[in-house]
Amino acid sequence: MGPDLVFFLLFISISCVTCWSDNGRRHQYDYCVLGAGPAGLQMGYFLSRARRDYIILERSSGPGSFFHRFPRHRKLISINKIHTGSANKEFNLRHDWNSLLSDKSSLLFKRLSSEFYPPADTYPLYLSIFQKELGLKVQYGVDIRNVRAVQMATGVQYLLTDQQASELQCSTLLVATGLWVPQKVDFVGSELVEGYESISTNPEDYKDQTVLILGKGNSAFETAQSIMGRASFVHMLSPSPVRLAWQTHYVGDLRAVNNDLLDTYQLKSLDGLAEANLENIVIAHLKDGDSKKPEKKKKDKKKKKKKLYPRLNKFLLKQEGGKNTSEVSAEELSKYHIDNFSLREPYDRIIRCLGFRFNFSIFHSSARLQNSENAKGRLPSVTAWYEGENSPGLFVLGTAAHSRDYRQSAGGFIHGFRYTVRAVHRVLEYRNHRNPWTSTKLMTSQLQSWILKRVNEVSGLYQMVEVLGDVVLLQGSQCEYVEEFPIQALPQFTSLSGHKVSLQGLIVIIMQYGKKVTDTLGPDRARQINWTTAWRSSFLHPVLYHYDTLPTEEEMRLRPKNWALPRPKAIHHVVEDFLTNWQRPLSHIQPLQRFLEHCLQADLRSFYAESCFQSSLTHRRPPLFCQQGYLKQQGIQHVARPIERVQFSGLMPTKQDGVSSGPDPALANFLAQAGTPVSPGLRLDL
Amino acid sequence: MSTDPHRMLVKSRVCFMAALLLLVELGECAEKTNSSELHQFTAVEFYDKLHSGKMMFVYFELQVSPTISLFLAELAKSAEVLQDYGVLVGKADCSKEAIYSYCTDQRQLHTAFLFRGGKEFLGLNLDTVFDVNSIVSEVLFAILREEVKYVHTDADLLAMEKSARGQKDLVLGYVSSLGTQEHRSIMETAYVYGSKYQFILITGGPVLKHLGINETSQSSQVWFLHCQRHSGPRLTSVHCPLTRMKKPLTIISLHSFLQLMEAPLVSEVHEDPTVVPPPQFPYQDTPQVFVFSRPETHHLDLDTATALAWRLRGIATLLLVHRQSPAVKTPDHYNLAYRRPQKSLEVKFVTLHNIDEVLEILSHEEQEAEEEKDGGEEEEDEEDIELHFGSLSDEIAASVYNNRDTFLDMDSITELTSENFHTVVAQSDLTVVLFYLKWDAVSITVLESFIEIADRFADSEVPGVQLCSVDCSEWTDLCSTEVGDSSPFPFQPIISFPTVLMLRPKEAAQHYSGMLGIMALHRFIMLSCQASPVTLSSQEEVTSFLQEVHHPELLGPKPDRMLGLFNTPTNEGVAVFFEAAKSLRGTVLTGLVTGTLAEKWAADQQVELPAVLVFPSWGRHTGPTTLSMSSSAEELLTSISSALLHPLPELTVESLPSVLSVDKGLLLLFVGEEEDEAGLRQNQLLLEEMRKVVELGGDKMEAYVACWIHLGRTPAGLSVLGSYLGSMPPLPALFLTHSPSTDEIYQYPPSTPIRAASVVQWLQRIQDGAEPAAGMLGADTWPPSGKFYDFLKVMDTEEPGSAQQQEPEEEEEEEEDKERVKGKMKNTEVTGSSFSSSSSAAAAHTHSEL
Repeated sequence: MGPDLVFFLLFISISCVTCWSDNGRRHQYDYCVLGAGPAGLQMGYFLSRARRDYIILERSSGPGSFFHRFPRHRKLISINKIHTGSANKEFNLRHDWNSLLSDKSSLLFKRLSSEFYPPADTYPLYLSIFQKELGLKVQYGVDIRNVRAVQMATGVQYLLTDQQASELQCSTLLVATGLWVPQKVDFVGSELVEGYESISTNPEDYKDQTVLILGKGNSAFETAQSIMGRASFVHMLSPSPVRLAWQTHYVGDLRAVNNDLLDTYQLKSLDGLAEANLENIVIAHLKDGDSKKPEKKKKDKKKKKKKLYPRLNKFLLKQEGGKNTSEVSAEELSKYHIDNFSLREPYDRIIRCLGFRFNFSIFHSSARLQNSENAKGRLPSVTAWYEGENSPGLFVLGTAAHSRDYRQSAGGFIHGFRYTVRAVHRVLEYRNHRNPWTSTKLMTSQLQSWILKRVNEVSGLYQMVEVLGDVVLLQGSQCEYVEEFPIQALPQFTSLSGHKVSLQGLIVIIMQYGKKVTDTLGPDRARQINWTTAWRSSFLHPVLYHYDTLPTEEEMRLRPKNWALPRPKAIHHVVEDFLTNWQRPLSHIQPLQRFLEHCLQADLRSFYAESCFQSSLTHRRPPLFCQQGYLKQQGIQHVARPIERVQFSGLMPTKQDGVSSGPDPALANFLAQAGTPVSPGLRLDL
Repeated sequence: MSTDPHRMLVKSRVCFMAALLLLVELGECAEKTNSSELHQFTAVEFYDKLHSGKMMFVYFELQVSPTISLFLAELAKSAEVLQDYGVLVGKADCSKEAIYSYCTDQRQLHTAFLFRGGKEFLGLNLDTVFDVNSIVSEVLFAILREEVKYVHTDADLLAMEKSARGQKDLVLGYVSSLGTQEHRSIMETAYVYGSKYQFILITGGPVLKHLGINETSQSSQVWFLHCQRHSGPRLTSVHCPLTRMKKPLTIISLHSFLQLMEAPLVSEVHEDPTVVPPPQFPYQDTPQVFVFSRPETHHLDLDTATALAWRLRGIATLLLVHRQSPAVKTPDHYNLAYRRPQKSLEVKFVTLHNIDEVLEILSHEEQEAEEEKDGGEEEEDEEDIELHFGSLSDEIAASVYNNRDTFLDMDSITELTSENFHTVVAQSDLTVVLFYLKWDAVSITVLESFIEIADRFADSEVPGVQLCSVDCSEWTDLCSTEVGDSSPFPFQPIISFPTVLMLRPKEAAQHYSGMLGIMALHRFIMLSCQASPVTLSSQEEVTSFLQEVHHPELLGPKPDRMLGLFNTPTNEGVAVFFEAAKSLRGTVLTGLVTGTLAEKWAADQQVELPAVLVFPSWGRHTGPTTLSMSSSAEELLTSISSALLHPLPELTVESLPSVLSVDKGLLLLFVGEEEDEAGLRQNQLLLEEMRKVVELGGDKMEAYVACWIHLGRTPAGLSVLGSYLGSMPPLPALFLTHSPSTDEIYQYPPSTPIRAASVVQWLQRIQDGAEPAAGMLGADTWPPSGKFYDFLKVMDTEEPGSAQQQEPEEEEEEEEDKERVKGKMKNTEVTGSSFSSSSSAAAAHTHSEL
């Protein structure tokens, strides 16, 4: 026993050495989450609930530090709709854009604010309550400066180096650092521009000034809205025209809450919008010596900032062989724009509100994340299950993972990524711990009502439009219902979820808007009341895709234009509904039943016990509904009949004075004597 | 033309036509093909008639050719018709005597002439008058030239409408070409109704657009423009309201259409629709639509009815029924009734929610009627209708839908929520909870039963029971806590709807797995009230346990009972017994007896302790079945349930599942309802024979369950019986069905008396393959009940390519496209409010610079 014990102790001490660094901090975890923002904490919740070995690393002293500073004008534009008229907690999440997912209903955001557009300061407060009450493990003040991937016997491991150069080894790295590096555009004179991150938020500072804002997103309009009451005019410049969220259904586009300036622009009140590619502009100011006014006067005005002149570079650049100074002469200024150039008047301030980009700089080449093709390369490119393309075990969560559904869905926003984080967690649970994706086994006769229940309440599919989908695995009399799978990863469904697809195939349920651009408020916007034209529905509605087998990557790539999924074997659109209640018998339920019947090649109708009785006696087996209900003694009986107090009479042998089990010759005699006319079968030879 | 003497005939002609129309069933004009010879004019007669001012349509026969004889045959037919309009039709034979100029000019060879008012009125080329339709239509058209107007544009029509307003209604006919049957129908009608209505005939022109039809449309149409009346919907508009005739244009349909336009818009009645006489001539084929009115909303109802009547003009007549009249018996939940005399005189009652549904019903039925005529594509059309207007094909969904106006009064049920759950459940010994989805038809059906049961419990005094419901579409957190969470509720997530659970404080939930109907569930709850097992400590207690007359509320047969006999309460079998008793709670009453009392009972039954005595409800006279203690509860439950199985079970809707669950062939006897004592005895004898079959058959009967259906108590058995043979055999009838090995159904020879011995022989013959099958069980595949509506196919037709996979090479192109777009973006100018127009020029300019 002795030597064994020694060995054991030795083992413990060795493992301690490997686990703990000099300053008493552990330096190896199965899961490291970078960033204690909403995505990081959301992942922390799932890891903690699954009792995984994890740590959340946060460089600030508290969670959600981004929200301490942004949005600069301190109003969240994510809606906090508390009163929905429904007690359905899942349904209510459709209209709660701030809460994180947890099993504690007390941890909803509404606890902190009842305002529809809540003040930004409540958000970090909410996050810290969320972290504390769920006991999520966060290390604050750890600023990871470098991330490297190393190949080890156990697979790729990630080594994180913090500001004190201490190292941490992680088997799985979950990057939830968000976007916080201000996005800039290079052009001549860009140094003369102020940034959204540092501008004054006091409207008085803009009194009587002319302001040009670069950008037409929410931060640009938020800024404009704040200063338009003081500034003499506000112009906004960006490559593309304004995109209104209520027209595009994309919450990242301009929200109505910020769009006062559109009013003043279109009601002819000095403000205005213009389009130009920002790379092609130049911002110039007059050379110092260029003023023809006497020195003295100039000194008086010394405090006043120089006026800024935006010009197009094609009028300036070629001048002196590609000059790239922003100092120009007055002569040059007036010469190089066409006569009625929109932005010919000089500006007191030019403010850059171009959003933020992912911080790529901490990733060593061994753990390099590629720039996304969309979103101007501001985001890292990830797989359909949010893993880095060339960095296995490194996942990107939260806003930074928005390249998957940029301008399509809500994956860049709390109310969207809370669900994709859960999806990543489920992927990890299967990959690392062999726990198949959460699923519900249903009797096939219950499938229809389960689908209806889901589409009428589910928030994940509702928020993550065309990104997450429920997958129904058809298995004859049973089916397996897998929730909220990232549908772009369908070709890898089995390896990601641990569920197999049977020969009967699968149904994928997603929510989608109409593919045709319609006038959002026009008279034709919601014309589809007839279920047979449901496929033309323009508002959000459930769509079911039936496949025999999982789509291949090739099929995925060649899917019909604007479709989220390849052409299925059969498709069903549940007609759009003004109340988003897909519960009507004729318009929603029966067409869905027909579709499911077609997919399963079976009669899925429900029957009363009496009909089941008949079909059970006339057929080898009755329809599915009877098999799964009536034959299990759970038939459905007609109602509204007053209870008949029938004492089973006549033949029931239980009757008190009932027949004894033996033959009763007296009866037979009676029968014979009475000479009753009987059918041949009853002509007993007595 | 008003001075034309023939117009005088009009009044009488209306009557004539009506009479004629009565005789003619379908829209074809009555004409005699075996027409009498064409009238032959002599010169004298011709001149005589001409000078008398008679209208004549004459062809001067110069020479004979096949074409001409064909024409003359047609002319002869038209003579019959035109005679009624005062036109004398005939020919003059120029070879016999020449009538000046007509018989001399060769050019007249291809012309027939209309004479009127003593002179030649018009010559019609034989190209335009070639058959009876064209002759009649062209001649009448010529005669009515002054009266039947022509309009080309909307403005022309408007002018007509203005002048007619308050005077006359307009009848506007559109024919794609003249000389057709349709044209003739309009002209004949115009002749008859010409003084009553202003007729307009068009053959095209921009005015068609105003009328809402395509100029290329080939089908003739007729509109009725209500200009005479001042009242009507939207008379504020410059146009008169118009009604389009929906039926194909024939003289009959046009006639009845015009008749219908004269019918009162809304008539009011004080009788029940069923006693309102069916529509009378000339509306005998027109549907009647009844809407209901109450005194307090009479004006409103009248307005609605009028609005509806306007939409139904030409389709149906509308009657407003005064509900307050005692003669009106229609239940309140119906708001509309209709009668389709062409189908039947029966009045159908419906509940509709908007006016469109009425139109749907009528057009639906119209289509149906047409289908009946056409035959052929019937099925297709029916399905189409179903797709669009829909009845529910799901049995339960349909009955819930039809009852959707019934308000569910949930007063007697406590609604559970995730908030009040624990408090409410703690209040009662037994809480019966129904989990339902409010849009699920099966759930709603069971909820209705559940309410009924709750009402009964509220009325009676059964302490310690409460009935609750959970709407899982609302309290999703209560019904399905996410798997993996430690659920705060004492049950598994509900994944099947409806589900009934029995909850007792501090106990795991018991799943109710019986029939979801009033009687079964009520009985289950009643039996559940008693502890399971009840500990019985004296002989009196045991006796009363076995004989206790149950609560009067208890429905159905006496309950099954079971006693567990153990030496000591700590005997290891007691735990197993407890487990079994717990799962039998609600279906079997269980009692526990220990100690000397148990020993005494065991001695009486000659069994060893521990033992279980089963007292099936049906077997009191035979004494209990004794079972030895099993080692597991499942095993014990299996032997209990087989001990409870009746040796000759009656198949009812309730009992069939348990009989089928043993998976044996059914030796099934159908008996009829006993009408008298004798019948009762017959049936009892039959059952005796069946019992004997079981005894006689011995091992051979192992493969079968002998059972019977009483068609009086279980009328559902009638259709089963019918389906076995395809016809109804005389009763009693004995069958062998559901054999594990075959789908064949055998009938015991109906002429042979049912006696145990011969039945056993018959069974043997079946086994030997010596009996012919009488029928077959239906297949066990149940294909989809309804036609699948293929959205992909629709998309492919309506938006070709939109749902197709992309071609692999297309991708590159796309990228190129992107490149191009990018290039363009770079070149885009600053476009602002005041500045957008110059951008294209500037862009062109920049191209050269770059």
